Amino acid sequence: MFDQSKSLSALKDLGTAIVQSIDNEEFPTLKFPGRGTGNLVYDEESKRFVLGNTRVIRDSSNLRHIKSFTQLVWVASYAKQLLQGGRTCSLRDLYYSSEAFGVEFSDQAESDRTVTDLECLTGIAREAFGVFPEERSSIYGQVTMRYTVAGYEGRDVDLTLSPDGLPIGPALVTADPVESDAELILAVESGGIFSRLIETRAWERFNAVLIHLGGQPPRATRQLIRRLHDDLDLPVYVFTDGDPWGMHIARVISTGSANAAHIQGLTTPDAEWIGVTADDITKYSLPSEPLNNADLKRLDELSRDVRYSDSMWQDYIRDFRQLQRKAEQQAFSRHGMDYVVDKYLPEKIH
Amino acid sequence: MNQDNSLHGEFSSISPAEFFYRNRQMAGFGNPSQAVYSTVRELVENSIDACEEARRQPDVRVSIDEERSGIVRVTVSDNGTGVPYGEVPNAFARVLYGDKFTARQRRGTFGLGVTMAALYGQITTDSPVIVVTQTSHTIGRYYQLLIDIENNQPVILSDESHEREGPGTEVTIRLKGDLNRSRERVYDYLQLTTVASPHAHVELAINGSSIMKMGWWHQILPAPTTASKPHPHGADLELLRRLVADAGERSLHSFLVESFQRMGTRTATRFLKFLAINPRQAVNTLGRGDISRLSSALRSFDGLGRPDGKCLSPIGKNAFLASIESVFAPSALTYGSRGPTEWSGNAFIVESVAAIGTGARAADVPTLYRFANRVPLLYDSGEDALTKMLKRVNWVQYGVRSTTPVSIFLHLCSTRIPFKAAGKQSIASLPEIEHEVLSLLRELGRSLKKTLKRGERSVRDAQKKREFDKAMKQVAQFSAELAECDAVPSTTELVHRLFEVDHHV
Repeated sequence: MFDQSKSLSALKDLGTAIVQSIDNEEFPTLKFPGRGTGNLVYDEESKRFVLGNTRVIRDSSNLRHIKSFTQLVWVASYAKQLLQGGRTCSLRDLYYSSEAFGVEFSDQAESDRTVTDLECLTGIAREAFGVFPEERSSIYGQVTMRYTVAGYEGRDVDLTLSPDGLPIGPALVTADPVESDAELILAVESGGIFSRLIETRAWERFNAVLIHLGGQPPRATRQLIRRLHDDLDLPVYVFTDGDPWGMHIARVISTGSANAAHIQGLTTPDAEWIGVTADDITKYSLPSEPLNNADLKRLDELSRDVRYSDSMWQDYIRDFRQLQRKAEQQAFSRHGMDYVVDKYLPEKIH
Repeated sequence: MNQDNSLHGEFSSISPAEFFYRNRQMAGFGNPSQAVYSTVRELVENSIDACEEARRQPDVRVSIDEERSGIVRVTVSDNGTGVPYGEVPNAFARVLYGDKFTARQRRGTFGLGVTMAALYGQITTDSPVIVVTQTSHTIGRYYQLLIDIENNQPVILSDESHEREGPGTEVTIRLKGDLNRSRERVYDYLQLTTVASPHAHVELAINGSSIMKMGWWHQILPAPTTASKPHPHGADLELLRRLVADAGERSLHSFLVESFQRMGTRTATRFLKFLAINPRQAVNTLGRGDISRLSSALRSFDGLGRPDGKCLSPIGKNAFLASIESVFAPSALTYGSRGPTEWSGNAFIVESVAAIGTGARAADVPTLYRFANRVPLLYDSGEDALTKMLKRVNWVQYGVRSTTPVSIFLHLCSTRIPFKAAGKQSIASLPEIEHEVLSLLRELGRSLKKTLKRGERSVRDAQKKREFDKAMKQVAQFSAELAECDAVPSTTELVHRLFEVDHHV
């Protein structure tokens, strides 16, 4: 799925441009789209948010830029080593490797940002450079995938192989779906609900591919959702906690995050949020807690966010503000262990 | 009467020699290690004064030899004027005899110190002071002298012709002393002597081996000082009576103009008008009450200009900076001075150098080196007015941090230094002096702050350049790897150009 030669040639072009300016006795500069939320623009065609026209410039003659300039060039050279050696590494690995090259990052957040800079600069996702995040989501369901990674080419894996679910890593993301009995994708926020759905064989009942998001899902997970949606033509349902944070998990799956707006193939515009909505809290009389200051502030931010501009989402926000309460997915347990499977989900998934 | 005598004991006067012997710790001869230091000090000060008198670049040689445990022989020789032969016995073996009772700056004050050293040597080792001196156009003479302590009279043991290579004086004193414990002080003292007298050269030999040869940091001799007329503020009763006795039938007006500095005809007229005394009154008709009234009026009279500075010999900016640079090799220095002003009619100047990076210990408060009339002060710094003023300044405000090694060299010169004791080691707290010293230190603090800032900036700049240079080299290396070219392009010229441009901005 990832085109290695494209990544390699992009890196070579980057190096050549820099070497040329130095040879011409000029300080090299780099230019790429800015990633501030102000530079998010909705693209009708791809139905997702993309980066606008604002550009940032890294000028190596600027004393304030030279550090990040060096970091960026190093990440590029490190990516080249990964690709040439047929290796992958995690974002954390990359952060710790920097020291051996005499390049300093103040923390992993800075090295993560630099990796994203390289993506913006080349227009190529970090996975195509062999760089993956540490955290893993899981998947479980009636789908068979065929690996494409070196050493596993052509081998198939049944996603119901383990009762714990399978971790979504570089190998699974690059694998191709070959066979499926599934009819829908159900992505859930918490691990507890994910296990419950497997144990109660709810996946069988709904013919669902279950995905454990674990909070804001890693890109690989969003990418896999998108691929299964596209290749197997499955509708996507997102089930999260009933608070602004859960709501935003669903929204990022369908419209994308500001941080990855420069990457294609991550969003699933049709994905539907089934709750927990503020309405559900009342309707199912779920045990709830009052919204705290951070929750209210987050609601304010979201209400101004372009991704929430349509009326349905503004309504969701308004409902939470009126109710002033939030509830977790687990709150359904008050009505019995299997209530969520027997009662709630059937009403939500049609 | 008999009863009274037994009650009160016997009244008798003691000679100055006896008085000073009984109070020798006051004069700096309290213990064997201080005694060695004080002996060297008194002899060296006399020597340099004598050379300046002769308008020669002082060349002073000190040798200290331990004859046996606890007995030390100190010899100091110079290339000065030599002592007129008739004066030698009195100058070296009679207390409070000397030529230094004039109103101008000298290192020694009363000619007391050398005699004190001779006296101490005589008491502790029963040895005479040996003086070899030669004035110009004579052969030279050799003396052995003792002091008759009870009568304060010299006893001449020998007085004979003696050849010496050129004019100058060599004095040898045997004394009970602790060489080991005084060694470091003597070294410090001589080293700092060349700081305060940059035109002098000093050599030190201990037990026959040469320890130090330094000096002649600045070739120009200080201008000779000339004795000033008394300042009106110093006109105490005693002085005024003496002046009046010498004035004869002169009118009061011309007496004032001729006897005092800063007393021109107009000032004298104004002064007498203010006192409502007839300016034409003859001085010898003044009664006790008149003189007393005149004295207190003179001492409190305002509106006099700055005192005469020709009687003073400050080290001066160039010489002071040159000597500190030579001895301490600091990374930066700055000079300041204030005066002349006066305390009780005694003119004084304070001058100071602040030096960064002299190897001094870094601290919140700078290290202080004190000098009075070109003499380094090494003892009793805690009670000293200069030390007190140094501590009163908030140095942190001037950028002095506990990591900044700063030294302050502070020189007070005056026709009279208000020492706390005859040991001449600490300066008494006088408001006039404290005020000037404090102002000078703050002035230095301000320029120190600028210097420190400049220093920090240049260190920061250099570091920035180093970091930038390293970063650009990395950029070149990483991009060469990316571009798959074997040669890493050189960024040296590029970096150099960038920082050169920066400096012009």
